[in-house]
Amino acid sequence: MMTTAVPPAVPGGLPYDDAEMPLALVQGRTRRYVLRIIWTSTAFLVVAGILGLLLRLRQGEVITLGDNFWYAMMTAHGLGAFVAWAGFFLMGVTFWVLMKVGLPIRSFILPEIMYWTMVLGVVGIVLTTLLSGFGGSWVFLYPLPFFSAGQWSDTVTGIFAGSVLLVGVSILAYCAAVLQTCLAPGLKAEKDTLGQRIGLALGFGLLFPSRFRTRRGTIPYPVLPFAVNAVDMFLATLPFAVLLVLNIVQSVNNGFSINVLLAGNLLWAFGHPVVYLLLFPAAAIYYYLIPRYAGRELVAGKAVAVAWLIALTMNVFVWAHHLYMNYPDGANVQQTLGTIMQPTTYALVLPSALSLYSIAATMYRSNFRWNVASKFLVAGIVSWLIAGLQGIINATAVFQDTLHNTLWIVGHFHNMAFLNMGLAIFGAMYAFLPELMGRPWWSERLGSWHLWGTVIGAYGWVACQMIQGLEGAPRRWAVLPDQYLTLTHISLGFLALLVAAQLVFAYNLWTTLRTSPFEDAKAVTVHGGTQP
Amino acid sequence: MGMGIAIGYLTFVALGLIIAFAVLWSTRRGRRDGGQGVAIEKAERAEPWWGVVVLVLLTVLLGITIWQAPWFTENDDPKDVQVKVTGVQFGFLVEPTAVRVGQDVEFNVTSKDVHHAMGLYNPRGQMIMNVEAIPGYTISRSYHFTEPGTYIIRCLEFCGYKHHEMIYPVFQVTA
Ligand code: HEM
Ligand SMILES: [Cu+2]
Ligand SMILES: [Cu+2]
Repeated sequence: MMTTAVPPAVPGGLPYDDAEMPLALVQGRTRRYVLRIIWTSTAFLVVAGILGLLLRLRQGEVITLGDNFWYAMMTAHGLGAFVAWAGFFLMGVTFWVLMKVGLPIRSFILPEIMYWTMVLGVVGIVLTTLLSGFGGSWVFLYPLPFFSAGQWSDTVTGIFAGSVLLVGVSILAYCAAVLQTCLAPGLKAEKDTLGQRIGLALGFGLLFPSRFRTRRGTIPYPVLPFAVNAVDMFLATLPFAVLLVLNIVQSVNNGFSINVLLAGNLLWAFGHPVVYLLLFPAAAIYYYLIPRYAGRELVAGKAVAVAWLIALTMNVFVWAHHLYMNYPDGANVQQTLGTIMQPTTYALVLPSALSLYSIAATMYRSNFRWNVASKFLVAGIVSWLIAGLQGIINATAVFQDTLHNTLWIVGHFHNMAFLNMGLAIFGAMYAFLPELMGRPWWSERLGSWHLWGTVIGAYGWVACQMIQGLEGAPRRWAVLPDQYLTLTHISLGFLALLVAAQLVFAYNLWTTLRTSPFEDAKAVTVHGGTQP
Repeated sequence: MGMGIAIGYLTFVALGLIIAFAVLWSTRRGRRDGGQGVAIEKAERAEPWWGVVVLVLLTVLLGITIWQAPWFTENDDPKDVQVKVTGVQFGFLVEPTAVRVGQDVEFNVTSKDVHHAMGLYNPRGQMIMNVEAIPGYTISRSYHFTEPGTYIIRCLEFCGYKHHEMIYPVFQVTA
């Protein structure tokens, strides 16, 4: 029986690996916590995935659904797949990776707040959408929540906004917990002050080694994306919380209202960075695992530290690229923001471009260990490139007349969210679950089938959407004009393959859970990887 | 435009995939020499230069495209016709409903309730313009019509449960 556990530490060890592992007690608790999030988020994926499938089946006119129900499902699917599956999973696995680089959770209070507010918020979202018919889309573009054309009440809007607010609280708790975990003695700062720890966690130690000294040699690279993400999501979630509170106020007092342009800016101040709530932890997983499979340290010097500094500062100054089309006569501020935020968005290409370089250089002519986990990761990394190039197009204002709110955008973000971050998630499951569950994967071969079915199925489907978009198919249309039907049908064929692959995965997981655990109980106490 | 975007995009994807494949293939050599056959420090020193290359490419793209942003291409010259397009849940009010080939037409797009958008499709079914209809604001966009026929308007901003029925089927451009 083959296993796909993280390979043993390479000869000589990576600098990350000489971190002292925390007490078995903390490890055990972290393990149970992370596992709980993995199972919960995977359950959310099942629900969100079925919803996505039904959405597409309706567009293919294979089934019929009530018009408002389709949009309510779309709202639940968008938030469910993006935040409740991918976001939540990556938030959880963050703490496993941090522990493995020597930064264990220091208190479980914030992580538990994060878990329960997320679960409660998601339940609220599911109820208000699927049961009470809130169908404002995941962006619930103001003032749509209060113009439901008789489909849902203001009270439902208020409860929906409150539920999303709980998810926001979960994200804030996550950020605080990550900072608490990162800014820790484990950084081994020589002068152990808070300023030194912040500098080290954000990569200043790589830029100014004499100013920010650590007794660890290097600060593990995965810490950088986690820390940057935590700082930025903190800044980004606050304006969003304000927007949600204002929505709640209006839901109880309908004399109150907000300026629509302001509402759009508050929304996207969060709506852009939230994508990086997924991308940055996925990057951290690549940074952590790829060097282990390649058998050498990540090839990344000062350039990567600079890249994360750019990410840190620019991430919160790009939101208006979602508002390029809002340039009303006389609203010069919005036009100026658009002009400024095309170049700032381009600047955000650098963290991706340099990360891809580093990963490629790390793999180049290495004695790379190919297994299901590493193949999933590599497929995700290649998707990072493919979908990232689409991102540059989307960031360019002049292309909006052709692409804005078409299925091209839907194809793009599924390419990014599912085939980059999603494959990183599956890769992380194949890599970490053996040590988390205490048992090896039942079948490596089924894992391969899962990989190929997922990659081929998802790319076929995503490509259809992107072509439809280039042909002008609008986004968020429950029923598409007839001219697009053929491509929708083709995409359903690919989706069938995608679903089949997930069933294979489910079967593999189910059987794995029923096999007996590792005999050597010590195999699950982790030091730089499991040695089953 | 769609075709141009597709070709430009696929060119870079092809380039990227060739490089990616070369990297993956190189691990076969790595297996033979145990991953010891390559000078990593060199790759690390070259990384900032890769950053510079990316930066230069992006700057060129920025220099070409930013001036074509819709808010820069509009001017104050008088137009031949003004067409007022107003979105309401769930339809468009369009006035006047016909223009002539060769005319410079200014669309004044707004909304009475929530956000909508005027997706203007030419007789061949291509979207030629996508203008947001924002409640309480107006966006003015000009278009010089060269092709006669029936144009349609579709709503391109999600506006509620009949969003997909929000189609204005007959905007005429006569010869
Ligand atoms: C099982 C595979 C999936 C299928 C079949 C699917 C299908 C769909 C469809 C048909 C739409 C509506 C598109 C439109 O016409 O506007 C949609 C929207 C969306 N999907 Fe998926 N999807 C899947 C997986 C995912 C995943 C994994 C994510 C994120 C991690 C995701 C995130 C979203 C988001 C954010 C929206 C936009 C919702 C909105 O506009 O409010 N989807 N999906
Ligand atoms: Cu964005
Ligand atoms: Cu609409």
